[in-house]
This record gives sequence, structure tokens and C-alpha cells, in this order.
Amino acid sequence: MLVGSVEVSEATPQDAREIAGDARDRIRFEEEALELSDQVYRVARRLAPSREEAEDLVQETYIRAFRNWRSFQPGTNLRAWLLRILTNLNIDRGRREQRAPDMQPMEEGDYFLYSKLDDGVPEEDRVVERLSQDDIVQALAAVPHDFRDVIVLVDIGEFSYADAAQILGIPIGTVMSRLHRGRRVLKQELADKAVRG
Amino acid sequence: MNDCPECSECERLVQDYVDRVLTDADRERVQAHLDACPRCARCYKLEERLWKHVKRCCEEPMTDDLKHRLLALRTPLQ
Repeated sequence: MLVGSVEVSEATPQDAREIAGDARDRIRFEEEALELSDQVYRVARRLAPSREEAEDLVQETYIRAFRNWRSFQPGTNLRAWLLRILTNLNIDRGRREQRAPDMQPMEEGDYFLYSKLDDGVPEEDRVVERLSQDDIVQALAAVPHDFRDVIVLVDIGEFSYADAAQILGIPIGTVMSRLHRGRRVLKQELADKAVRG
Repeated sequence: MNDCPECSECERLVQDYVDRVLTDADRERVQAHLDACPRCARCYKLEERLWKHVKRCCEEPMTDDLKHRLLALRTPLQ
């Protein structure tokens, strides 16, 4: 919808007031959306494989949000709305890449780190903190992206299960099962890296 | 993994316990088990520390360049 195509010469005072009100609404929308950009970036950074791609994803999200600002319903969750745009863009990109999910066989149980430590690793207190940002990025990259989307939204973006369900357009039960399975893959990766040191 | 049914249940529920999404009854059962079982208590602490660390590592501010690019997308003021 193009705002700039209004014929100013034919506008009545009534139209002029509506246009001014519209512009105010739009500016307020833009300000509110930009206040959320740090949070949007944090999610994008962990969904996209590189910083450059995360930045492009955020920029494209805001271009679309500003273009379609009228379809946002005031009073609903703007953060969730922006993230829905972002994850849809990211899913499009993922489809183009057509990366085959490579699931590894899972070990039994959830205490991955602990069972590694049982194998005899000293310095238990520091084993978690030894994981670098690169380790975590690599471990996240190993998680199939359906699962990763949910982990990034819930664990890093701090969205509720309900918001994540709305953003990704999947039922809450699916959010929970993907989260559970995704975390198991992530934890197994992290446990391997932590113990390898 | 050990064969204790209480430990197995605790292991299954510990992530939901960290997330605080358990029902009251389950939460109390996990809490009671963690108080009684040093192995599970140690696993729980590791679990909690791991997720805190992951989150902390993922806090990375935007570059100024991206901030400027976003600000430039705003509607120009008349």
C-alpha cells in the first residue's frame, strides 16, 4: 500500500486530517518496532548462519514490517508479529538451501553433560563456562532447523510457548516436542564440546 | 543412567523443572527427589548452569551499521 500516491490537490480538509493521523500512527508504529530491534536481532543472529545474513534478515524484516504496518493489529504482540515475519523469511531462505537434516542417533537419557563427566573429567565447576560462543554457535548449527527455530525463540528470545506457536504457525504441543528434541541434540553437542575442552 | 525409577523420572522432568512449567505436584516431587539425591542435584545444577551460559553467550549487540540501516528505513519526517 503506497502512502505517497495520494493526490494532494484534490484532498479536502477531512482527508488532510486523516492523512496526518495516518502519518502519526505510522511513525508511532515505526518507533515501537525499532525499540524491539535488539531482541529481533538476537533471535536472527542465532537463526542465520553468519552475522551478515542475520543483519540482512533483520533489515528485510523491518522493510516488510514498515511496508505492511497496517496489517498489524494495535494492542496485539508486536514483538511476536515482527518475529513471525523474520521466521517466515528465514524459512524461505532455508527452503532454498534445501539442507538435509542430519540426525544423529541419540543417547539415552537427558543428563548428557553428567554422563560425560562420569567418564572422568576434572574441573567440573568450569566445564560449562569453558564453552565458547563459537562452540555454542556450532552446536546450534548442528540442530535441525525446525528444532533450532523453537530453541532460539524460547531459550534465547525468551518467548512463551504460546508466542512461539503463534510465530511459527504450529500447535503448542509441537513447540514443546520440538523444543524437547532440539535441546537433546544441542545438549549432546555441547556436552561433547565441553568435555573435549 | 542408573536404574532407580525416581532418578529416571527426575531426569525426564528436570528440563521442565528448570523451565518452571511443571504442575505443582510434579514440581514438588522433583524438588523432594533433588533434596534427597546428590547425583540428580548435581545434574540439575549443571543443567541450569548450561542454559544460563548458553543464553549469556548469545547476547550480542547489534552493530552500529545495522542500527543506522534500520533507522534509515523510517518514514522521513515532513
